[in-house]
Amino acid sequence: MASTGDIQLRIPRQLLHDLRTPLSPILGYSELLIEQMREKGYEEFIPFLEKICAAGHQLNELLTNNFESETGDPAQDEHSGPATDC
Amino acid sequence: MSRILLVEDNEMNRDMLSRRLQRRGYEVLIALDGEEGVKMAQAEAPDLILMDMSLPVIDGWEATRTLKASAETKGIPVIALTAHAMSTDRDKAMEAGCDDYDTKPIELARLLGKIEALLKTQNDGGTAGEHGVVQ
Repeated sequence: MASTGDIQLRIPRQLLHDLRTPLSPILGYSELLIEQMREKGYEEFIPFLEKICAAGHQLNELLTNNFESETGDPAQDEHSGPATDC
Repeated sequence: MSRILLVEDNEMNRDMLSRRLQRRGYEVLIALDGEEGVKMAQAEAPDLILMDMSLPVIDGWEATRTLKASAETKGIPVIALTAHAMSTDRDKAMEAGCDDYDTKPIELARLLGKIEALLKTQNDGGTAGEHGVVQ
């Protein structure tokens, strides 16, 4: 499978929006559950939730780094970057 | 307790973000579309509005323009929320009158920083007694 560095994906703008939309609840609920598991002392579930969260951030970074604007320039997303909430 | 109006048509995003904000001590009001968002802002006078831009009935840009054109709601800070990532989307939101802009998926710490900054500005320059105390 080619790496993201090898392939510049042309993702239509609306498709990028539609792919990012379900990422919000995936990341948000997993972060919320991590907080609640810590509060309740259910530490054994946290690593699984952190994996879900990290996978979601990885997907978001993939979308951000491979999105090309209509002009061919990469989208200037001030919010791209490594995961911080997981 | 500061009151935030969340205008969001996506059920999962609405539920997730309202829960996370409530856990941080905010009272969260909900509207499902742009028209309801405008009506609720007029009726409830929230301290801040989180406005999804892709909304049914009327979109977030039009809803924001309506709010900013009215004397009773123009002082309420509006943060645009969108899954669109282009700089032109940010420009469009600011031109509609939004006070700030954030992209989805939401990074909660970043969004909370923007909320708190706008609420502080509102309380420093506005009528703090009318809108409550910043958390």
